[in-house]
Amino acid sequence: MTTILRTVNLTKRFPGVIANEDVNFDLQKGEIHCLFGENGAGKSTLSSCLFGFYQPEGGSLELNGEPVKFRSPRDAIHAGIGMVHQHFVLVPDFTVLENIVVGTHEHGWQLGLDEARKRVASLCREYEIDLEPDALVRDLAVGQQQWVEILKALYLGAKVLILDEPSAVLTPEESIRLFRIISHMKELGLSIILISHKMVEVMQSDRVTVLRKGKVVGTVCPDEVTPKELTRMMVGRDIELRVVRDRSNKEAAKEPVLVVGGLSYRDTRDNLMLDQVTLTIGRGEILGLAGVSGNGQKELFEVLSGIIVPGSGNVTLAGERIEGLPSRHYMDRGVGLVPDDRFREGLIPEFGIQENMILGWQRHDDYTQGPFLNHKQIGTIAEGLIDEFRIKAPSADTPVNHLSGGNAQKVILAREFVHSNKLLLANQPTRGLDLGVIEYVYKQIIAKRDEGYAVLLASEELEDLLNLSDRIAVISGGRITGVVDPENTSIEEIGLLMAGERKEAAE
Amino acid sequence: MGELFQEAILVSILAGMIRIATPILFAAIGELVTQRAGIWNMGVEGTMLMGAFTAYFIATATGSVWLAVLAAMIAGALVGLIIAFMTVTMRVDHFITGLGINLLVAGLTLYWFRMYIKGRAQPTFDGFDNVAIPGLSAIPFIGEILFDQRLLTYMAFAAVPAVWYLLYRTRWGLELRCLGENPKALDIKGLSVSARQYAAVLFGSVMTGLGGGFLMLGFSDRFLADITAGRGWLAIVALIAGNWMPRGVLAAVLVFALLESVATHVQVLGIDVPHQIFLALPYLASILLLMGLRRQSRQPQRLGIPYFR
Amino acid sequence: MTSIERDTPAPRPVTRIRIEPRVNRKPLWTFAMYLAATLFGLLLSALLVWTSGADVIKAFSALLNGAFGSQKAIIASLAKATPLILTGLATVVAFRAQVWSIGQEGQVYAGAMGAYTGYLLFAGLPPALFVSAIVLCGIIGGAVLGALAAILKDRFDVNEIISTVMMNYLIVFLLSWLIGGGPWTEVSTSVVYQQTGPIGEAAHLPALMGSGKLHLGFAFALVSALVCYVVLEKTPLGYEIRALGYNPVALAYRGTNIGRTIILVMILSGAVAGLAGVSEIFGTAHRLRSDTLFNLGYTGIIIGMIGGLRPLGTVAAGIVFGGLSSGALYMKLLAQVPASLVPAMEGILMLTFLCAGVAARYKIVRVKTDG
Repeated sequence: MTTILRTVNLTKRFPGVIANEDVNFDLQKGEIHCLFGENGAGKSTLSSCLFGFYQPEGGSLELNGEPVKFRSPRDAIHAGIGMVHQHFVLVPDFTVLENIVVGTHEHGWQLGLDEARKRVASLCREYEIDLEPDALVRDLAVGQQQWVEILKALYLGAKVLILDEPSAVLTPEESIRLFRIISHMKELGLSIILISHKMVEVMQSDRVTVLRKGKVVGTVCPDEVTPKELTRMMVGRDIELRVVRDRSNKEAAKEPVLVVGGLSYRDTRDNLMLDQVTLTIGRGEILGLAGVSGNGQKELFEVLSGIIVPGSGNVTLAGERIEGLPSRHYMDRGVGLVPDDRFREGLIPEFGIQENMILGWQRHDDYTQGPFLNHKQIGTIAEGLIDEFRIKAPSADTPVNHLSGGNAQKVILAREFVHSNKLLLANQPTRGLDLGVIEYVYKQIIAKRDEGYAVLLASEELEDLLNLSDRIAVISGGRITGVVDPENTSIEEIGLLMAGERKEAAE
Repeated sequence: MGELFQEAILVSILAGMIRIATPILFAAIGELVTQRAGIWNMGVEGTMLMGAFTAYFIATATGSVWLAVLAAMIAGALVGLIIAFMTVTMRVDHFITGLGINLLVAGLTLYWFRMYIKGRAQPTFDGFDNVAIPGLSAIPFIGEILFDQRLLTYMAFAAVPAVWYLLYRTRWGLELRCLGENPKALDIKGLSVSARQYAAVLFGSVMTGLGGGFLMLGFSDRFLADITAGRGWLAIVALIAGNWMPRGVLAAVLVFALLESVATHVQVLGIDVPHQIFLALPYLASILLLMGLRRQSRQPQRLGIPYFR
Repeated sequence: MTSIERDTPAPRPVTRIRIEPRVNRKPLWTFAMYLAATLFGLLLSALLVWTSGADVIKAFSALLNGAFGSQKAIIASLAKATPLILTGLATVVAFRAQVWSIGQEGQVYAGAMGAYTGYLLFAGLPPALFVSAIVLCGIIGGAVLGALAAILKDRFDVNEIISTVMMNYLIVFLLSWLIGGGPWTEVSTSVVYQQTGPIGEAAHLPALMGSGKLHLGFAFALVSALVCYVVLEKTPLGYEIRALGYNPVALAYRGTNIGRTIILVMILSGAVAGLAGVSEIFGTAHRLRSDTLFNLGYTGIIIGMIGGLRPLGTVAAGIVFGGLSSGALYMKLLAQVPASLVPAMEGILMLTFLCAGVAARYKIVRVKTDG
């Protein structure tokens, strides 16, 4: 084994934060090396430094034993390093081939698509990737788009491949295929850096480097440690891994709060995003929603909170038909919404905490006095909520874009909990949060369930859904492909449903 | 009315359309490149005005129209440099930058103009003559309309396929379009987003300056404070109406030019309505065009959004 | 091994400039940036005067003297400032919501035309009532034009910048017809001057402080500033306007009707701009003509921007630039520098202020990487 890439005391700072501090890391030729850590532990920053996208402030980088400096990704690409970003960097209106060719600078001013097509075809054969080079990326499934990203790196002659959370957008089945090809690449002599926070994937790699708060905790071989030990390395303390199973009151759940029938929705590009969705959520019940992101979850949440109007179908809340009404009416009837893109959809980032606490309720009697806002009253209420939800902030006026993701999410939770009383819609409420905060968020949601809320909870973490939900609905291609009982199902069954196989005679 | 007379008027209107289209086309086809690169330049009107004024100044000072054309392009480039600095380097909102540029140029040109003509009669110049293309211009009807125009008019129309080729058949074009759709895709390959956006803004601004120069030298013999009269804005509308495609942009520009050409012929046509109605037509048409256009847009995804790494 | 030829240049030391958001905004730093912007803008303006061969010191001292040199000059400056404050406030209301309307220009005309309609319709009412009716009609005129742009944006997705520019041209053509051959044309002269006849004294806005030039319009401007401040900072509508500017998506997600808010914003903005037209025609010019209204709206954009999109800042900026345009005549006489120096200065200062705004929000970092 030879060391292909190595960092010595690498340090990278951002305004106000140290993202990487004295990181020592090495990649051997032909290994799969996993970077493991919580969100914000510095995994992505480290890989961006390895890829020349960021320039470290301290420490050094060695390639095949020689010190190197990457001033830009071009240098890294030149050195044979390729990166597949977590959020794809593709142009949807370009073809696969154009996405691969753009910025490669091979043919002077000419496009040279014909020669590129041949090379892409031979790469596809070599790595057993199945892709139509002239298809528009827009028309590809998310899983296929990932192949485009991988091909982009291989086309540039990558010998080292950095994969940032590659399975986040894949169905379990697609993930398995991805890992098969990754092992194949390894056999063909590629070295792979895999960024992940999923234990299953960590266990498939050759070595694991655990990062915590920007520092390396240690590098281990996965077969020498237990998952529990790895988690402890990642979090720095023992943690109750998942919320304890705690089922709701089955009797109460028979009283339906939300009944959805035959809901369909087409987006502005005329794609069918929701296809005959039918669901029921009872009082004091958590309905989990499983699915690969982009399969209609967002649209379902938007229809159920009145933000978009469905093409057909009906929504009944506590016996009242409310489909097609504007979101105001949903809010007035006690529907709370925790959107998945919290800074874009849930908060006004430049506003202070207290102003965000009343977002949507700025005309409510509690917050006004005559025609004016009652700033004093708003401040008092906001401070109460800041205490209650343990939001860490210098003051109630602090703009929420200065808050951490977890504290910002708590602002949304506080606001939505206070102003709703029947139905809670939570789309990816724990995405990107630290384990400690995740635990807190789930406890709060369970508390609301026990108060009698009906809860719709979407998450990419299947295990969380299995632990929290009373039933799990699986969505794929805008259809509910099945509703399963978490007590009598398996990850495999849900995986098949996520891939679009329909479960017969659901419920 | 005699048939011959009618045909003569029709030829005159259509030939006028081609000539009137020229400055707007220069600007629109230039800004097409700028906008495909993601910069929503609202300073077209100002850039054009700067081109027009510079052309006037150089034409009257030196007597050379070609020197004036060159100067108009350089002036366009300088304005473009300010626009690029503000939008690409400083990342000021694109709309606000454009508005600021328009106001700045309106003020500057007026000031310079007043200084230039202070205490004397406004100097004039001899503009361009038509250059008939041998052979083609002899074709009846068509020849008179299309092939007996100013040299720069031929260039403006030739620029349409040229820019199409640039955008869709060259590596630079692919990169430019990538900037408008997802600049990060270039950034992660280590290519400079800023440098390319600067180039795209400069290209558009040089073309717009050229359009302003032609407006000055091809139509008139003296400068007026608001000589562009919204033509820069019409170029922007043409981009939207043409769905950011060279062919569509050309079509939209021709519509505006036809309306304006008709307006200039109203008196010849002897129609008894206030002439303001005809003057208003291009502006009215642009609002109506935009109203009818929603939901089929191929607007670049990242148009007008400053790129932060 | 597949190797690809690349045109990578040899490593060499480079210094690049990068812009990063500031974690904490320091008021002192912000102030320093705007001060620098002012000085730099003035420096560029001086350079402009100098390159055109005039005496810089003489020009600027004449300008200042003409603007604020005597009580009479100050009153004249405040009169000039009146419409600019109003169009500046119209800009503040729209731009705070990030509705990029530049329809203030047209709304000034619409306000003047609405008021003139009122003048024709309500002749004969008792004086106080007559003037009130005229003012109200002017406000409505501006508001209607503003609402039109908002409806085009909301219903038809028409970019507001473009629709307002086009409407600015359209309304000028309409006025040009009305007063140049149409029903409002001044009769009794053989030449058409593109103006209406003089407005009867009963309809004039009353003078303030016994002076000739300053009139009720100035009080309107101050009251409007106060109203804009209270609406923006103290009411739910203001909350919605500010939130719309920062993040329309979240605002819509939480139940606020965006289209309705945009329409309200444009009605408010148009009403204030319309007031500028009323004030200029019925307070200063006393007859309706195009050139007295020209550029008030566009200048208002600069005033509002330089005023930091804040009502009080706008009043201050309006008075400063009102003073400059008032002093410009004096400068023209004494230093032979064209009065159009002032619009040029305004344009320069707007750009330097824009850059200062960025500099205050972001910090500019020099990144040095050696090869």
